[in-house]
Amino acid sequence: MLNHNIKYEWITLVREKWIVILLLLFFSITLFAVRNGNEKVEDRNLSITKEQEKVVKLDAEFTADIDSVTRKLKSPPKKTWLDPRSLSNIAWDAPRVVAMEAVPLALVSTGQSDLFTHYAKPKIYGEAYTLGFSELSNPVQLLFGSFDLAFVCIYLLPLLVLAFSYNILSADKESGVLKLTFSQPVSVYQWLLSKLALRYVILSSIVMISVVAALLFYGVSVADNFSAVVKLFALVLSYMLFWFLVAFVVNLFGKSSGNNAVTLVSVWVVMVLLIPSVISQLSNTLYPVPSRINMIHQYRVAEAEADKNANEILKTYYRDHPELAPKDTTKENQYAWILSYFASSELVNNSVKPILDKYDKALAKQQTWVDNLRFLSPAILLQNSLNDLAGTSTAHYADFRNQVIVFADVWKGYFKPRMFANEVMKAEEMKELPKHTYNTESVKNHFASDLAGMIFFVLIILAGSWTVYRRYTATGILNA
Amino acid sequence: MILKIALKELKEIVRDGRFRITAFVVAALLVAALFVSKSYYQSVNAQHNEAKKNARSEWVGQGEKNPHSAAHYGTYAFKPKYPLSLLDNGVDKFSGVSIYLEAHKRNEAQYMAAQDQTALSRFGDLSPDFVLIFIIPLLIILIGFNSFTREHENNTLRLLKSQGVSSWKLAAGKWLGVFIPVLLIVVPIYILAAIFLSNIKDYGQFSLGALTILFGVYIIYYAVFTNITLVVSALYRKSNLAFVTLLGIWIVSCLAMPKVSTAIADSLYPYPTQVEFEQQIAEDKKKGLDGHNPWNEESKKLEQETLKKYGVDSIQQLPFNWAGFLMQEGEKHTADIYFKHYQLLKDTYVNQSKVYRATAAFSPFLPARFLSMAISRSDYYSHWDFADAAEKYRIELVGKMNGALMNNSKYGDWDYLENDKLWTAVEDFNYEPPTYAAILNLNGSNLATLLGWLLASSLILYAVVNKIKVI
Repeated sequence: MLNHNIKYEWITLVREKWIVILLLLFFSITLFAVRNGNEKVEDRNLSITKEQEKVVKLDAEFTADIDSVTRKLKSPPKKTWLDPRSLSNIAWDAPRVVAMEAVPLALVSTGQSDLFTHYAKPKIYGEAYTLGFSELSNPVQLLFGSFDLAFVCIYLLPLLVLAFSYNILSADKESGVLKLTFSQPVSVYQWLLSKLALRYVILSSIVMISVVAALLFYGVSVADNFSAVVKLFALVLSYMLFWFLVAFVVNLFGKSSGNNAVTLVSVWVVMVLLIPSVISQLSNTLYPVPSRINMIHQYRVAEAEADKNANEILKTYYRDHPELAPKDTTKENQYAWILSYFASSELVNNSVKPILDKYDKALAKQQTWVDNLRFLSPAILLQNSLNDLAGTSTAHYADFRNQVIVFADVWKGYFKPRMFANEVMKAEEMKELPKHTYNTESVKNHFASDLAGMIFFVLIILAGSWTVYRRYTATGILNA
Repeated sequence: MILKIALKELKEIVRDGRFRITAFVVAALLVAALFVSKSYYQSVNAQHNEAKKNARSEWVGQGEKNPHSAAHYGTYAFKPKYPLSLLDNGVDKFSGVSIYLEAHKRNEAQYMAAQDQTALSRFGDLSPDFVLIFIIPLLIILIGFNSFTREHENNTLRLLKSQGVSSWKLAAGKWLGVFIPVLLIVVPIYILAAIFLSNIKDYGQFSLGALTILFGVYIIYYAVFTNITLVVSALYRKSNLAFVTLLGIWIVSCLAMPKVSTAIADSLYPYPTQVEFEQQIAEDKKKGLDGHNPWNEESKKLEQETLKKYGVDSIQQLPFNWAGFLMQEGEKHTADIYFKHYQLLKDTYVNQSKVYRATAAFSPFLPARFLSMAISRSDYYSHWDFADAAEKYRIELVGKMNGALMNNSKYGDWDYLENDKLWTAVEDFNYEPPTYAAILNLNGSNLATLLGWLLASSLILYAVVNKIKVI
């Protein structure tokens, strides 16, 4: 009986042209969304590539210049800071690009990527932790947000689900078919569930086809990123399942189509618009972000204090770092001016570090708290996990910032001892300069817990549906 | 007759349990949002005042220094919050709150709140504007989607018509029936907001006039949505279809259109990246403002000219410290470079705004959103205005420091020190925001678009109801 049911349902659906409309609608929306995501990712990659090409070009120039001067083909400039062999020159003028390359699925979700820069060039002078990582952007654009695949999945997909399923039971009831159906030996619960299951399979296929087609169109290989794409579908399809089950429960109440539509939209407003914004606002109030501007003040006070003592400290610096002390004291070190900077900056760093650490710790704690609130709504779960997949979550940017700070130390670490030893750069050494490779290994992945959270919501609704069925549907569905 | 119809509609709506629950929820949300925003802003405001005091005491108490070192040490300008931003936080979350003012360099505003928040904040906050601009139009749809379709479905249109009521009177009655419940929610909130805002201490000057204009904008916005709702309801015979269509209109105008226009604006007029922007400035600093007059050549020319002007043959003989003079001229030069590049950036922003204005023809949400932010002084323009004022202050501050070096010290005397006498002589940064008249003037086109929506939707409503046929 159920097989018949599904078969005829399929025939009706196909004849109604609903499927074609849905496919076309969803495909065009998806294509537009992926196009927007792709534009951002291309801009991002292009700017990184441009910077890296500049570095390659500059390195070649430096190598050639050093070579000419070393082989005496060119006379060295009189001023040390113009000498291509000068370590301080290379450390300042030829910084490496520390870039956060886009992961393959970055175009899925803009996430926080519109707020932050994707590369930095830490130099010998200046502290990486003071680098601003803000991207230049029109804040109106940040406020309105991006029309990306994440938006389509989180906001629009549920509405398609609801439009596709709000009147399954009520339409049959209103046209009188329902009585005929139930003259057959079939339970309302199974009958409705099988109808919905069919629609779920159809819409899932539409979603998968559209997304895969859009990804392929914009040059993302599904085969190469198979596991990421599978994760994407696991999340999106379970989110859809949640919404189908919401429609299922509302249908089970046996109210009119109009009533169902209004109820379902209200549920959507609450789940997708209200709960996330209430939680977001609450988190600001309950777990306020520690004050940045207060931190600046403490930072400035500590910095000024350290600065006062900084002039006298090169001597004590050598006491702390005997390995750097000059071996040949008769010759003047050409980097003397920057060496005293190293000494004073270490002093300043040591005095401001506790303030920054304290701030970062407080911020991390606040974000962990807020992160846990995501289990209150499937919409937040999906957003969080899509950002994870796209490598555009706040955590990814915080991690990148740390990678820049670490690399800045590596960069300085390469030059510092050589400057103290009063060395100069050789042409072949240009190839040995430290390089940075971006990796996302240290960012915690929430996929498993997010999916589990989503399934938990699905199970709750499923349990609820059974209760509703026993209470309302079984007793009153055929009345009226 | 109009009143009778309106009263009947109202009675029906109020008796409908669905409306009562929804209206209660919306009102509760608004009140909650108002309270939460109030406490949030009070804390932000307290932080701001403290930071401002700290920045001043750092500046004044920096001890004995060479004035140019003092200019390097610099100070901070903090962006104030305005009373109405309690209702509409606008882009404040996405624009920095403090600008570091130092010699030689114009800095971007730092520390946007959104950067320290998780992506959750991108869903938007439950602030009053969220309810006012997203949720209340939905409420209007919920109240009015079946205004006319109901008459068809119950076959009551014939009865009504037999009373001899004209179509437009019927429509006017129905219109009031939808609009009055909205007023019943919005007006108390307006009064509550007025009481709230006039009672917050240390919160800048609050203007009741501005609050009234703000609510006026929302009232027009709601009138537009009421018109659209009734048009759709009059066009369809089935409530279901009317509801689904209206929902589609809401999604397109409130959710999709802002994002779509952002995508278009970004494609057509992209911002440079931060690093690109800085590199362009650095390039100009190296090559000179117009690309062929590097500063080191320019300064040599300046030296010759100055010597000639004072009739001396070495800079030591000048009646002022040449170093301070040169520093100040260099400062002017870099300030011009910054001005040029920020002007280019501003052009991009203006072009992007034009895109939003053009797409506003497809969404009443957009002009209402921009007007609301502008009146609340939390829009992007307000941010620009603040940043420009801070830059002006920076140039003055650095100018005073270089002036002290130039006039009070001798050439070559790098150990010259000034003290808190000079620091206190520099006035604190006090920012005056643009007046409401200027704001409204700037947003004339948004206001015109919104009124255009009102006019067009009213005319369409009038045309549509006249065509309703009784079958």
